[in-house]
Amino acid sequence: MMAQLENGRLSSDDTMSVMTLNSQFDEESSFGSDSEINGFTSSRLTDKYGFIGGAQQYSSDMAQEVSLAVLRQREAKWLDMLNHWDKWISKRFKKVRLRCQKGIPPSLRGRAWLYLSGGKVKREQNIGIFGELDCQDGDPKWVDIIERDLHRQFPFHEMFVSRGGHGQQDLFRVLKAYTLYRPEEGYCQAQAPIAAVLLMHMPAEDAFWGLVQICEKYLPGYYSAGLEAVQLDGEILNGLLKRICPPAYHHLDKHKIEPILYMTEWFMCAFSRTLPWSSVLRVWDMFLCDGVKIIFRVGLVLLKCMLGSREKLKACPGQYETMELLRALEPRYMQEAFLVHQVLELPVSARDVEREHRIQLKRWKKTHGELTYKSPPRLHGAQAIMSAEPHSRLDLRQKPTIIVQYPSDFDSASDFIRLKKRSTIRRAPTKQDIPNPYPLPTDTKPAEEPPHLILATVKPERSHDPQIPNNFFPNPADIKKPNNFFPNPADIFKIANNFFPNPADILKNPVSIFMNPANFFLNPANFFLNPANIFKIPADIFKNQNNFFPNPANIFKNP
Amino acid sequence: MSETYDFLFKFLVIGNAGTGKSCLLHQFIEKRFKDDSNHTIGVEFGSKIISVVNKSVKLQIWDTAGQERFRSVTRSYYRGAAGALLVYDITSRETYNALTNWLTDARMLASQNIVIILCGNKKDLDADREVTFLEASRFAQENELMFLETSALTGENVEEAFVQCARKILNKIESGELDPERMGSGIQYGDAALRQLRSPRRAQAESVQECGC
Repeated sequence: MMAQLENGRLSSDDTMSVMTLNSQFDEESSFGSDSEINGFTSSRLTDKYGFIGGAQQYSSDMAQEVSLAVLRQREAKWLDMLNHWDKWISKRFKKVRLRCQKGIPPSLRGRAWLYLSGGKVKREQNIGIFGELDCQDGDPKWVDIIERDLHRQFPFHEMFVSRGGHGQQDLFRVLKAYTLYRPEEGYCQAQAPIAAVLLMHMPAEDAFWGLVQICEKYLPGYYSAGLEAVQLDGEILNGLLKRICPPAYHHLDKHKIEPILYMTEWFMCAFSRTLPWSSVLRVWDMFLCDGVKIIFRVGLVLLKCMLGSREKLKACPGQYETMELLRALEPRYMQEAFLVHQVLELPVSARDVEREHRIQLKRWKKTHGELTYKSPPRLHGAQAIMSAEPHSRLDLRQKPTIIVQYPSDFDSASDFIRLKKRSTIRRAPTKQDIPNPYPLPTDTKPAEEPPHLILATVKPERSHDPQIPNNFFPNPADIKKPNNFFPNPADIFKIANNFFPNPADILKNPVSIFMNPANFFLNPANFFLNPANIFKIPADIFKNQNNFFPNPANIFKNP
Repeated sequence: MSETYDFLFKFLVIGNAGTGKSCLLHQFIEKRFKDDSNHTIGVEFGSKIISVVNKSVKLQIWDTAGQERFRSVTRSYYRGAAGALLVYDITSRETYNALTNWLTDARMLASQNIVIILCGNKKDLDADREVTFLEASRFAQENELMFLETSALTGENVEEAFVQCARKILNKIESGELDPERMGSGIQYGDAALRQLRSPRRAQAESVQECGC
């Protein structure tokens, strides 16, 4: 039985019923994590994106499957790009774009988004700012309305499902910090879903800088009082539609359906509340790489598909019918592979958007007068942002909390795993480059060489390193598939970036953060006990039979 | 598409953010409380056929975003609305204080003759009440509004709010105060009504569809 969907969300009758979903869905789902810890007990499954019971329109036919081998290759490529980010952006941007279009590997998505948006540079250049804002009290007028919205963001995502859970807490911190960072802007309700999507992929501080970049570089003025920028973009969309799909344009015009009637939520939330989740992620991958033209293209594709033929227009003879139709988009047009293909095919460039912008701005000034809010110029994507915001190498350096390395002294290694303590991850690790654990065919390094795993954890209170038995690693003779041998470093970084508590918090309050039952599994020591995390680390490490790496949970349980 | 009705009214649901506008709409249409809804950005819709004084009326309801910031956008939804639910939260004085602004907007942008019912929502949270019934009903009288306290949670007075508003519009049509033919009245004839108009022998019984609500 598939989940009954209502406006893309589950109807509340289903909330407590048991869902049986197809087996592939089963494999990739998990119990546990925040939803359970915080007392939300439901017998329903969480999909691989963290939505409970297939909310946000999850179904296997909506998503595009990528084979594990391809995923591993992409991860290696992305790791390399992230290591030499400025060169890739300035010299090989087309390749970066192509890789964004193919979809960023889920394990690296959060980091890639932060780099693409320029949030990474912003964060490094403003160290401590988020912490300061986080400590301050917000303006009650904003705090009140933010608090009213906390439980209304993706209520079926396991991160946000429980009232006062850590997802909602972080959401509050990020949104409140923004109102303090830009007091003249304050809080706009449409910022909440944007922040929530970011928080699903990165810790609060990163999400904050990601939000700052989206609000100021990608969609400047969207969330400001008066919402003029959105209305203007509505006119731009309409202007582009006239060229792309005249029948749809004329139909909307005839029934006096102003763009603002149907595109507000699409654009202000960057489609995060409209599309099935697999499509949302792909759209965001492209959007953060190439900027707002992607949002325009998605909008145009949807309009073209829903209103593009005479038969379809006959079925919606009036304003209300047309509006209803645009609120109930047909799933097949939002299906990941279809939508991405259509978006890439649509001939609308950043230059087209800018040209239409000038035309519509002129028109706007004639009818409405000058814009009351002068927003900064819109930057079209990662490259434009990077060239507009000077940065140093240091700003782009990755600061992973867990580092995977090959050993230099294979024979002398009595314990293969060493847990290296570090009081804070704020200090840069001494090692800068992360060796590629996937030897290329030309690599001379023998695949049998057992690696060293140096885990630089953020756990402050660990008193001793666990002793790892010598039979910990499999017999080297068994090791035939070097690619599967090692845990994917990408996954490990994902752990580091997404699941560990914000280091700033640990410093502030090293003990209490782990005392909170909600954070139980955030404690590095308990991290692997959480079945949800085991599911998440991996793009399937532990399921894959070819995988020789022992389950870390066992290491901790039984040293 | 085969539904028949005598009239079609365009309705608005307006009021501050977090007062329960979408929940009222959901309760009215689905007859249950939706506690996990997103906040509205832009507009949501719902429609339902109800029967009022022997007429079947289709309500086409536009549910709007409540945050002040969206007002410039939501204004474009007002055009041609025949009725409106103006919602505040009885546990929040701030939402009550904002009513005058909403009222001005509605009368100015929808139409002078728009029929408005004031809804003090969250009646179930009486312990946290900040706005008394008396105070609000006085405000309603002064501004020629109908008034009810509602609860989207329990469903109390929710249907009544929509029905009362629709009934008043029908009365105004019968008394000639409202002219459905006028542009932007927010009222349209359904097929059944058109037939009745052409043969005013009032063969009403067969044309009134029981909508089962």
